[in-house]
Amino acid sequence: MFARRFLISFPIFAVIFVIQETIVSQFRLFGSGFSLFLIFTLLWSALGTPELGALTGFGAGLLMDLSQSSSGPVGQWTLIMILAGFSISYLGYGDDNFRGNPISLVVIVAIAVPITRLVYLILGLMFGGEFGSTLQIFISLIASGLWTVAVVPLLMPFVTRIHSGLFQDLSRG
Amino acid sequence: MRNGGDNRGRLLLISLIVTSLFLITLDLRGVQVLGGLRNGSQTVLSPLQSVAATVFRPVGNFFSDITHLGRTRGEIEKLKANNEMLLQALINRKNADAELSQLKSVLDLAGTAKYKVVNAKVISLGSTSSFTQTISIDAGTNNGIRQNMTVITGLGLVGVVKMSYPNSALIQLATDPAFRVGARVAGSQQIGILSGQGTGKGVLQLLDNRTTLKVGDVILARGSQHNRPFVPGVPIGEVTSVDNAAGAITQTADVKFYVNFSSLSIVAVVVGAPQSDPRDALVPKAPVPTPVPTVTIYAKPSESPTP
Repeated sequence: MFARRFLISFPIFAVIFVIQETIVSQFRLFGSGFSLFLIFTLLWSALGTPELGALTGFGAGLLMDLSQSSSGPVGQWTLIMILAGFSISYLGYGDDNFRGNPISLVVIVAIAVPITRLVYLILGLMFGGEFGSTLQIFISLIASGLWTVAVVPLLMPFVTRIHSGLFQDLSRG
Repeated sequence: MRNGGDNRGRLLLISLIVTSLFLITLDLRGVQVLGGLRNGSQTVLSPLQSVAATVFRPVGNFFSDITHLGRTRGEIEKLKANNEMLLQALINRKNADAELSQLKSVLDLAGTAKYKVVNAKVISLGSTSSFTQTISIDAGTNNGIRQNMTVITGLGLVGVVKMSYPNSALIQLATDPAFRVGARVAGSQQIGILSGQGTGKGVLQLLDNRTTLKVGDVILARGSQHNRPFVPGVPIGEVTSVDNAAGAITQTADVKFYVNFSSLSIVAVVVGAPQSDPRDALVPKAPVPTPVPTVTIYAKPSESPTP
């Protein structure tokens, strides 16, 4: 069942990944901008079960690792996204008040994006990476949270509609 | 699951984490399959990135211009008067002119130093979430570009080829925090190491504690053995401030890069270096002050005052 769900949602993630790598990466925005793919993945995970969140994070992280601009070893984003996907879905699982409230989703994703990037940073430092000045990192993390607040409301109708359509149909089938 | 009762969920989570750790281990041990996957994904994406760069770069430039809105307000007011077709034509023309200008200047620089270069267009501005400063270009191994080659523009050093794929290459910018280049001061020939800081400035650390730097000193690339990764003589930037802290082992200075990394569109990869070191031949010429003409007017009061 999980494999089936994963395979069904994979083309959607592949399209968002291509959009991120080809279009979003053309813009140099304030505070190093935002990652549409990361936001989409966390929002998608927040709407599912913890198992699905972890599996979604695994697939999404694998794609992020395949990006040529990913600086760490293959598997670094995968590991972080598994934990991020699982955690964000675990927080809201079983609580319909949480999932039914768009503001809660915006807030949780806006918090999760900088935290995910911070964990990536810490793990990257452990692997010997260098990431610039503390101030730049701080600005970048804060800006990514703010960009997420702006982007999630635009993405939410699209994501919730596809997510519910896909998984309701599956549960009926 | 929430109550810890779903063993299948736990098993799945642990399996996924173990898989990811396995991938990290394989990658760190240099297993070629994973590198091949990354190459494959880039081979698929680079044509799409080229198309997207052509279509969306004018839009990206528009967003970049927003940050300079105060300065261009007058120009924007004038442009408002034009119709949509003229505006589009203007943006396209502006884009092409900027690329032409950059191409001309890079060829001038390469010609002076007798570098053999391959010109390329910037097709992507790198990751927004990995804290690295990279760009992708539309030329790769098929054009003779290999790892660890110097990348320049007409103004100076851009960075170094980090990865090369058949039709594209990933360039680590000089602003990347992990970037290091052996540098020397034009004229005095003092040598040091310049490192990126994630901003438009780098930090130069001299190797000799008996030498001194001053604001305005021009910094050039010192060159590497067999000219890889850096060819000698490429201008890097200019010293803007010197740290004279007492007790410091060596002197350090802030260096402002000549290249504007936010508006890169055409770059050149040095695929062949000259036989001889160009030394200070590429040091940019200092601007010549334009004389301001002055006019003196003598006023003489009339002798007979008018009623």
